[in-house]
Amino acid sequence: MNFICNFPFFSILLSLFSGTVCSMLPAKAAKVVNRVVIITVGILSAILLLYLLSTGEPFVYWMGHFPAPWGNEIRAGVLEAGMALFFCIIMYLSMAGGAHKLYGEVVESKHNLYYILVNLLLCSLLALVYTNDMFTAYVFVEINTISACGLIMIRQVGRTIEAAVRYMIMSLLGSGLLLFGLCIMYDLTGHLLMSNIKESVSLLVANGEYQIPLIVSVALMCVGLCIKSALFPFHAWLPDAYGYSTVSSAAILSSLVSKGYIFLLIKIIYRVIGFDIFNSTRIIDVLFVFGLMGMIFGSISAIRENDIRRMIAFSSVAQIGYIYMGFGMGTQAGMVASIFHILSHAATKSLLFIAAIGLTDVSNGSRKFIDLTGAAYRNKWAGAAFMAGSLSMVGVPLFSGFISKLLFSQAAVQVEGKMLASLIVLGISTVLNAIYFMKTVIRIYTPVKESSYSGITFREMKGYAVVLVCFIVLNVILGVSSQPVVNMIEQGLAMFA
Amino acid sequence: MYLILLPILFPILSGAILLIFFRTSLKGNEKAKRKTLVIISGSLLVITALLTITALLTAKESFTLFYLTETLPITFAIDATGTLFSLLAVIVMLCAGFFSFAYMKHEDHESRYYGYYLLVFGVLNALCFAGNLITFYLFFELLTLSSMPLVLHNGSKEAVMAGLKYLFYSLCGAYAALFGIYFIYRNSTTLTFTAGGVLNPSTVAEHGSFLLLVAFVMILGFGVKAGMFPMHAWLPTAHPVAPAPASAVLSAVIVKAGVLAIIRIVYYIFGANFLRGSWMQTAWICLTLITIFMGSMLAYREPVLKKRLAYSTVSQLSYILFGLAVMNDTSLTGGLLHVLAHGFIKAVLFLCAGAIIYTTGKTRVDELRGIGKEMPLTIWCYTIVSLGLIGIPPTGGFISKWYLATGSLKSGLPILDVLGPVILLVSALLTAGYLLPVTIQGFFPGADYDYGKLEKQEPSKLMTVPILIMTVLSVLIGLFPNLITDYLTAIVSAVL
Amino acid sequence: MGPNLLANYGEAVSAILFCIGFTNLLLQTNLIKKIIGLNIMDSAIYLFLAEKGYIAGRVAPIVVNGVTSTEAYINPIPSGLVLTGIVVSVSVTALMLSLTIRLYTRYHTLDLDEISTQLKKEGR
Repeated sequence: MNFICNFPFFSILLSLFSGTVCSMLPAKAAKVVNRVVIITVGILSAILLLYLLSTGEPFVYWMGHFPAPWGNEIRAGVLEAGMALFFCIIMYLSMAGGAHKLYGEVVESKHNLYYILVNLLLCSLLALVYTNDMFTAYVFVEINTISACGLIMIRQVGRTIEAAVRYMIMSLLGSGLLLFGLCIMYDLTGHLLMSNIKESVSLLVANGEYQIPLIVSVALMCVGLCIKSALFPFHAWLPDAYGYSTVSSAAILSSLVSKGYIFLLIKIIYRVIGFDIFNSTRIIDVLFVFGLMGMIFGSISAIRENDIRRMIAFSSVAQIGYIYMGFGMGTQAGMVASIFHILSHAATKSLLFIAAIGLTDVSNGSRKFIDLTGAAYRNKWAGAAFMAGSLSMVGVPLFSGFISKLLFSQAAVQVEGKMLASLIVLGISTVLNAIYFMKTVIRIYTPVKESSYSGITFREMKGYAVVLVCFIVLNVILGVSSQPVVNMIEQGLAMFA
Repeated sequence: MYLILLPILFPILSGAILLIFFRTSLKGNEKAKRKTLVIISGSLLVITALLTITALLTAKESFTLFYLTETLPITFAIDATGTLFSLLAVIVMLCAGFFSFAYMKHEDHESRYYGYYLLVFGVLNALCFAGNLITFYLFFELLTLSSMPLVLHNGSKEAVMAGLKYLFYSLCGAYAALFGIYFIYRNSTTLTFTAGGVLNPSTVAEHGSFLLLVAFVMILGFGVKAGMFPMHAWLPTAHPVAPAPASAVLSAVIVKAGVLAIIRIVYYIFGANFLRGSWMQTAWICLTLITIFMGSMLAYREPVLKKRLAYSTVSQLSYILFGLAVMNDTSLTGGLLHVLAHGFIKAVLFLCAGAIIYTTGKTRVDELRGIGKEMPLTIWCYTIVSLGLIGIPPTGGFISKWYLATGSLKSGLPILDVLGPVILLVSALLTAGYLLPVTIQGFFPGADYDYGKLEKQEPSKLMTVPILIMTVLSVLIGLFPNLITDYLTAIVSAVL
Repeated sequence: MGPNLLANYGEAVSAILFCIGFTNLLLQTNLIKKIIGLNIMDSAIYLFLAEKGYIAGRVAPIVVNGVTSTEAYINPIPSGLVLTGIVVSVSVTALMLSLTIRLYTRYHTLDLDEISTQLKKEGR
């Protein structure tokens, strides 16, 4: 076995232990450790990705000395490695972009706590991405929840604590359902490893045995993960959690945490249940309908919002709806579109959060639209970045949003029964997106005659501006040369089988 | 080979530079600063125009910039249709640009205006040179976004709302069109514009009726930009709130992007043979006729001059669309000719309205008594092009309408072949009704008019010369139509 | 359906308990009651797992008196899962309780809805 095959394990372990180390370090050192860990994990994932692309074969890595049905396993394919790399990039940029806000919003003595949580979150995300064991996945889902909750409430104001409580409650409901579904699945198949469960499930389906418990189990797991990733009717906790936490947290939560759960769901669909069996259930129709509803209602809530951060948060609800709509189509193309949208949305949403904070900073910290008038002139970089993010969200060509919409539509055209519904809702949602994002862009670019706010120059925010530029570049790369990414996703999905 | 990129990239980049580096408003040494700004933007404008013409003359082969996905290249190529629209764009953009150097004196944020003006120029060029549907769509969206700042230039609540209305109508339309693009993308061999269409024969056999629906939806979608009923309402709101030269550009050139889009999809993607004689053609013709009549009616009832002109644009654009919808050689020639004629005429009309606003501040038609005595040159130009728009020989409008009417008569469509010309005639009468009052009241204010307070206030040369140039051009089209119709015949025979 | 339900009464009970815990966690407005609901829900799952791992007539998988035959013991994996699960649920409960304390010291109530209305009044 090649040395590179150790890398997934190294990445998980590295982020886990660096978390522990951070607790003993002063804040400055913890920050450095955190950055270094994210970069290292990113590099490891990149090497792993290259290696997997060259071999073209996924590999399974034993955790311990026990073979398949008993031991615990890690499994890495192109998609897993790609996701890990992408998560690291987004996490690094989000941390770097929100670093200056941390000093204002979080008590100095708690800074190293913050870095512990981030490292822990990275660890749990990596574990979710790589693990081949359902119960391990559950445990790391909980660790993910706990650290995400910490990220929300690290800024100690009433709103964030309440949001953290609400987030916890919804998450616990979700993980309870996930665990219950998982236990039923274990009961039915006698396995916890994904590949073994899949064999048993296909056997069960072929024999026509235990159909109802099987469906119940799958449904419970799906609903659990839907709740955790804030699919439409379960999104009540989201706006406060994203809207009031410190900006790095908001960016990470919206673009990574929910995506980690969605990625786990993809793995469950492909590696536990089997894509075809999953598609033959009615669950995909339910996901489809809720996805469509999320796309519309999320946008409507965003339009009615008067607070820029909460507006962006509500827009996440709509974007999550897109992803579930792709699942609901029940085709390979829909799945590819959804996965691409995970990337595109992660890149765009964190950009928007980071850019929005730049805009509110130059408006005396107010997030109301009326105070943001002309903010783009006071902080030009944030203004331009916000515009780029908005254009991507609206789906203007050259940005990543357009490609994901293109992929969704192409997928929709192939599905006879769902074509019209998805195309129409895509259209409505695009227009709704345009309404609130363009409204905001126009607002921040409307000049004000007498400004009582002071602007900010490039000198004062070099790091911040660089982060914004990186985000925009990432977005444009996804939008302009999407083909390699799409190829990689397809290859990764093929490796899932 | 890269020559084709220059007229696209140069104005876009220079516009962006203008936007970034001239952000600071004109304070302190205002006059000198303004002079620099005008000289810089003027020279950029002229260079762009020269580059465009060079590209039109020399660039022959297509050029692929990059691939959006494996099968979706961003390609530019120049063909006869693109050249026609590009020439119109160059002339109008140049004239209106110079006009605005004088006009924009009394508006704020000039640098922003010129920056976006150049951006729009570049995007328009890209649109004319687009070699396939996806490139076209890309720049169609960009055109909406880059022209929106021109609409909401003065930043008043009314202007911002108009800008938003423009944006939403355009985006709805663009999405409807995109829906069609997805479908064609799956059912055609290529998305490259090819005279005569690109559909797979097998697809036509299988999904024929659905393809007709797709075509109809696409025409409705792109028709939004061309102000076609039922999605015309943004146009009379958005065009008048922009500064006058911007309205001229919007009404004369930017809406033509919608026309170009429809030409591209009907004649270069679906192919006229596929659409001719279908329910879709009938429905489309009906929509254009409704728009022609309704636009004229609304213009007739509208008291504010610029708004009246905007309604007139709604009506006149559907003349062009009517020509495209009838789908025979004569009508198509008429439609394309009207693209040119209407482009020049409407630009002159809006510039005249701008000149009136600039010198007198009057916006309503009934305030304009005696205006012809005050600004004779402007109102003379206004009158000449009005006659052209009404369709009185020997002006350009007459020739195009003649082609449209004869084309319709020989089309052999039931009922519509006669109804079309009748509505064209009625609308021409209405056109006379809404345009000529300015002339009549302007030159013949009546016996009770107080000639004593009359003062000569002809605007500066920077304003009158562009108006004059385009007036002359519109008359020349009428005097020597053969030059252009020969050129158009080449296009028409290729696509039909 | 009926006989099946009777035969699998352990599973049925745990499912009912799960539902009770779930609704409590979802619908109660009092935070402490919510946490109790959470614990009921988790315990129900552990009951389910334990029930599944139990084989009648065998003993817990702890080697006593040198008996090493696998036939003598129940399936150890569910027990292991339950132990892991308990650890997770304890930590989650602790976190929830600490959050509750923070909210209580700020707003002097355990009612989540009331806290929300107070927050709205604060306006931030």
